[in-house]
Amino acid sequence: MSVVAPEKILKELADLWVTTGKEGGEADTQGVLRACSLTLVVISESADDPHSLGETIAALMPEHPARTILIRLTGAGDRALDQRVYAQCWMPFGQRRQICCEQVEITCADGALADLPSVVLPLAIPDLPLVVWSRCTRLLAMPEFRAIADMATRLVLDSTCRPDTRQALERVSSEIASGRLVADLAWTQLTRWREMLAEVFENRQNLARLTGDVRVTVGDGGAASARALYMAAWMQDSLRSLPVAVEAAISSSPQPAAFFVELAADGLTVRLERRDERLVTTVNGLSQSTHLPQPDNYLLMREELGIAARDPSFERALALAVRLAYATDK
Amino acid sequence: MPTENPFQDALRFERRVPESVVVIFGANGDLTKRKLLPALYRLAYDRRLGAGFAVVGTSRTAMSDDQFREKMQEAVQQFSEDTKFDDEVWRAFSQGLFYVAGDIGDPALYRQLAAKLSEIEQSRHTGGNALFYLSTQPSQYARVAQGIGSAGMGKGKGWRRLVVEKPFGHDMASARELSDRLHDVFEEADVYRIDHYLGKETVQNILAFRFGNGIFEPLWNRRYINHVQITAAESIGVEGRGAYYQEAGALADMIQNHLLQVMATIAMEPSASFRAPSVRDERSKLLRSIKPMKPEEILQYAVPGQYGPARIGGEDVPGFRQEKGVNPDSQTDTYAAVTFFVENWRWAGVPFYVRTGKRLPKRVTEIAIQFNGAPLAIFNADEAQAVPNLLILRIQPEEGISLKFLSKRPGAGMNLRPVSMDFNYGSSFGERSPSAYETLLLDAIIGDPTLYTRQDMVEASWAVVEPIQNAWRETKFDFPNYAAGSWGPDAADAMLARRCHVWRRP
Repeated sequence: MSVVAPEKILKELADLWVTTGKEGGEADTQGVLRACSLTLVVISESADDPHSLGETIAALMPEHPARTILIRLTGAGDRALDQRVYAQCWMPFGQRRQICCEQVEITCADGALADLPSVVLPLAIPDLPLVVWSRCTRLLAMPEFRAIADMATRLVLDSTCRPDTRQALERVSSEIASGRLVADLAWTQLTRWREMLAEVFENRQNLARLTGDVRVTVGDGGAASARALYMAAWMQDSLRSLPVAVEAAISSSPQPAAFFVELAADGLTVRLERRDERLVTTVNGLSQSTHLPQPDNYLLMREELGIAARDPSFERALALAVRLAYATDK
Repeated sequence: MPTENPFQDALRFERRVPESVVVIFGANGDLTKRKLLPALYRLAYDRRLGAGFAVVGTSRTAMSDDQFREKMQEAVQQFSEDTKFDDEVWRAFSQGLFYVAGDIGDPALYRQLAAKLSEIEQSRHTGGNALFYLSTQPSQYARVAQGIGSAGMGKGKGWRRLVVEKPFGHDMASARELSDRLHDVFEEADVYRIDHYLGKETVQNILAFRFGNGIFEPLWNRRYINHVQITAAESIGVEGRGAYYQEAGALADMIQNHLLQVMATIAMEPSASFRAPSVRDERSKLLRSIKPMKPEEILQYAVPGQYGPARIGGEDVPGFRQEKGVNPDSQTDTYAAVTFFVENWRWAGVPFYVRTGKRLPKRVTEIAIQFNGAPLAIFNADEAQAVPNLLILRIQPEEGISLKFLSKRPGAGMNLRPVSMDFNYGSSFGERSPSAYETLLLDAIIGDPTLYTRQDMVEASWAVVEPIQNAWRETKFDFPNYAAGSWGPDAADAMLARRCHVWRRP
């Protein structure tokens, strides 16, 4: 069994700065700048594409510089635990100076999971938020996850990872019920959609038509996916403040394959649909097209790392989405 | 009937954008093609505009809606610097572009525009909200405003706002006259005087830097700050605008508006809130606290300059008087450096050196705040004293902030060296910064005038600039007094040297 002592990692991090400083100093005598605004713990499986994950983390650093602790679960095995430290640097000032963030990578076999919290906890930077991003990992279902989640000021999950959507939403719900600040990337995917829908009702004529019966339909290729449930639930919840009767449904039709949202009221039809890299909003036949890149982990995490507070819209939508999932299952 | 949008989410969404139509006067001009349409297209691309958003362009040139759309497409493709042109986004956006041809002196034009607005209100549900953007000659502003008023477009079912570009008059009297004419039709609260400098991210960031952090504000006063230098240098000459520039000059073209606004942002008191009236009140108060110069002080505290011919990078560059359309005996200032003092407790005695010029060595705009030295030099006195702490706020070309301080050089002995702690806007935040016009157009549509100039600010600026302008007009200077490609006249260096200061070389 290999031993990974937090003190050893911290010492290596300190040495890393000396080395990086020397290298930077040789190049232009200006040294390097260490940047850090949070501790980011990323839990991933070894099967997770390391190159793609590395790129995502590197892309996040300029906007959310962090000490990143990347935990790779290697699967069944004895109590093997290993680590390496390195710096993630970029050159922002016309090649004059490097800005660097620390990265610690810990590989861990299932047999060593119990030791993981005792290694990770001392590595957290004091006085700064600690965000745990649990990617599609088995750890979520293991008892050891609890100790790691307990360290987090914010926990980022992704309901789309799990085959059973209802169970996935219930899991997110239970984390919130236990008092944690939780984000779900399935919900984050919807921000631009929700924003465009809201924009439609900045028009007072459209807003005035939100009366009587309102029908909401969300389609995701026929699946009651987490994002479809969230969207329908959020619309239903938002309309609660108005004297309207809302009927929300998830379309079971496999066509169209792309995600779409429809709202129909008396004299008003709104449809939002994705067409490649665009979001097309059609209001009573009048269309507007805007740029909407496919959501990747970088864009989603970038948004979530910028939010430090509880998200009441999300929590209300989640509660309704779970109910909607039950109704859809039946 | 619902009055509040039930779908808003303040935590995650950008600001609300109401339905509206933007009417551009001078729609065939350079500003529309280079700045306004690319900015509006970018806002559409970024999902910032509603589905019914519309633009009505007007100018004398006869054009159909389709020809206008074609022309604007070319402009957007040519001048959108960091925005991908997306055919589908353009197709939807361009459906909201309309054109009305006519002479701004002809009342028929305004009647046609009123009919067009009413038609658009029906077809695109713009709610009667209209923003009139005057991208015409400044001499036409009052006439256009009157035309809008006469056709009944100054008021409507929704809000009506007017955006005007600088210059806001060429002296105090003309500024007041213009303002009075605009106020015949629009309330002051609906007049948006655009100063694109205030729309730049770093100028806005000055407010965030000063009032969002606790550590700098205690140092932000005469006790710790030695002096402030504000530089807006351009490497180009008048570029074919000689005839216009000859009438304006650097002092009126840059200092009266942009740089005094930047100075006000640097030196203003903290506002009670970030609401527009509070921020603008403080900025205005600061401008009114700038000490107007007595006639005998002007030649000592203000230095004009005019560039002469030179050879730069193997190329012969003409002097200002050799530029096309310029009088060979012109007394116009292509460079101006002024020492301002602010008469309040915070800034009493602290010089604010402001300079701007054409044909300087590089294009750069920055604010350098020089702090007082350590009260006691316990290290090598020469070394420590020679490099003061400097806080540099860079506005262009690379927006960012640097703090220079002394650090011990590693090794035996106590040798100090200056180091720089840098923050770069573009690279520290992965996302693209919106252009100043994107920010300001969106603010005007939303109804947030925080970054716009109010009439009392315009008048306060003229109150300090006009005496200098008058004194310079009455003096015959020995121009040219600096070579193109240099950092300005020697007299500007001498102005600082009297207080043992030197201009920074950005």
